[in-house]
Amino acid sequence: MIKDIPIIAEQAQQPRRTNPLAHVFDELMNFARSRSLFMLHYCTGCGAIELPPAMTSRFDMERLGIQPMVTPRQADILLVTGYVSIKTLKRIILTYEQMGSPKHVIGICSCTVNGGMYWQSYATAKKLDEYLPVDLYIAGCMPRPEAVISGLQKLIDNIKHGKSDNWKDYYQRYDHYLGNQQHLFGNNWQTPTDVIGEAREYGLFGPQTLGQHTELLESVQKPLQPLEMKL
Amino acid sequence: MRPENYQAINHPPSHEYELNFGPNHPGIEGNYALKVKLQGDQVVEAHADGGYLHRGFEKLMEGRLWIQNIALVPRICVPDPVPMEMAYSLAVEELGGLEVPIRAQWIRVMQLELSRIAAHLFTFGGHAATTGMYTTMYWGVADRDLFLDLFEELTGGRVYHIYNIPGGVRRDIPDGYLDRVTSTLDYLESRLPDYDNLFFTNQVFVKRATGTGTMTQQQALEWGVTGPNLRATGLKLDVRRDDPYLVYDEIDFDIATEEAGDAWARTLVRRKELQQSIRIVRQVIERLPSIGGPIRCPIPNPLAWNVPAGEAYARIDSSKGEVAYYVVSTGGDKPYRVHVRGPSSMHAVQVLENLVTGGRLEDVAQIMFSLDACPPEVDR
Ligand code: SF4
Repeated sequence: MIKDIPIIAEQAQQPRRTNPLAHVFDELMNFARSRSLFMLHYCTGCGAIELPPAMTSRFDMERLGIQPMVTPRQADILLVTGYVSIKTLKRIILTYEQMGSPKHVIGICSCTVNGGMYWQSYATAKKLDEYLPVDLYIAGCMPRPEAVISGLQKLIDNIKHGKSDNWKDYYQRYDHYLGNQQHLFGNNWQTPTDVIGEAREYGLFGPQTLGQHTELLESVQKPLQPLEMKL
Repeated sequence: MRPENYQAINHPPSHEYELNFGPNHPGIEGNYALKVKLQGDQVVEAHADGGYLHRGFEKLMEGRLWIQNIALVPRICVPDPVPMEMAYSLAVEELGGLEVPIRAQWIRVMQLELSRIAAHLFTFGGHAATTGMYTTMYWGVADRDLFLDLFEELTGGRVYHIYNIPGGVRRDIPDGYLDRVTSTLDYLESRLPDYDNLFFTNQVFVKRATGTGTMTQQQALEWGVTGPNLRATGLKLDVRRDDPYLVYDEIDFDIATEEAGDAWARTLVRRKELQQSIRIVRQVIERLPSIGGPIRCPIPNPLAWNVPAGEAYARIDSSKGEVAYYVVSTGGDKPYRVHVRGPSSMHAVQVLENLVTGGRLEDVAQIMFSLDACPPEVDR
């Protein structure tokens, strides 16, 4: 398994921007984004129990502009709250791929960092950042609501300064992530989303987007069929 | 169209469709899923789909020392972790022949009941949210936090305490702690009328919960239902009374029951239990200052502790139902086998499947919350 820490690869060739006000616009967008975050909290593990206190009256994360959201397609942040069993990890990856960019992943709890209490368990995936580009970890077993909120504040700062764009890494080094996923789930692993197509669409197609793992994916991939609707 | 002209269409079977309810769904408790087959919004068939939280606890415990497992067991049931530590400790004490000092037993009772209060407040919040009343959720979670503060002062942890070890408890109560418990209980009692107005007698809730997810006493016994859910069918069965552990036989309390066996009855039983728990903790506060002595008995070096060979079964009543541990030792420094009997593995699988079938889609979440099942304990 490839073990290196995700580092954003060099920018792929992007169309040159000629507008002199482009970066002003970017800053404005980043500011707006950082102030209105919708969070999808996938309750994967025990850390989820500290989220209701963080969201409700006592700690109240809504004052930071962060609100829970129920569908992945409208969410900006994916909170992974605790250990991820292999069965859950498949759902998390599918959820993540459905979210619209820009998107951010936060790993709450030590279990997402290195396996935590369950380092020797046969049923859990140990390091979340091998499978998804994680923006921020909030360590602790379990982190207190204050820690969760300060972590989210850190994320807000990062987004405001344009430093939190690990989601691009998923497109630029898709082969790496896909390889780790295949290692865990077997060679038949596929999701009904088209990450490579999206990478082209966003202009994030990098030299490491394609590789041996995506070739394997292509050889086993079943073409997507439209759902049969009957009434 | 006039109502007398209206004829309901009998849908052909092709109108049945399958819906994945969960695992990432706001109406489901934790990381758990149900596959429901629907006809319109009537549930025809339901299958529980667990395993999202499986960690292989029973296997992990075989690989760790007796004392290390204390840190592992509370993770089995997250909203109500104290009974897990307690049942495991009781089983190991029985194996090792340890005599727990009286003072530690009273402290344990206090901790168990505080945990029950916290868990019930959390459940009310979740249950109210499934019927669209979010204020109760905000109140319940905020009031639960006061109890977590008490735990934090006593044990150092908000949710996971790791406070009970075989032989007693880890440390004595801090100065003035009992006064703070009293004032928190006073506060909760003064809030109960508000909760009644907001939730328990609210017609939105009463109308939706009456008759939803009804089970008879006979069914409940056949399906292995325990705890408040069983008491809601009219059976006065409580491990605290029938097979007393710790010092519950010296404590005066009533067993809350209801007759109807539906979601409403189950919630009312919990509401009554809240008051009984307050009563129990008040008795502990009265008795504790007059009981001196140590808070734990001497145990061998915990890192090289060979618990004598044998098997032990310890059961206690948690806020979710009956929790039991079956522990086997072969005289080594690690357990040979630990089996956890959690109440939710019955409530969230066969009971839920049966109660949901025939009901309506919008009641699925409510039934699940009214059973107060705890998914991490189903999957373990
Ligand atoms: S770090 Fe601790 S609290 Fe968080 S998921 Fe792991 S065991 Fe649970």
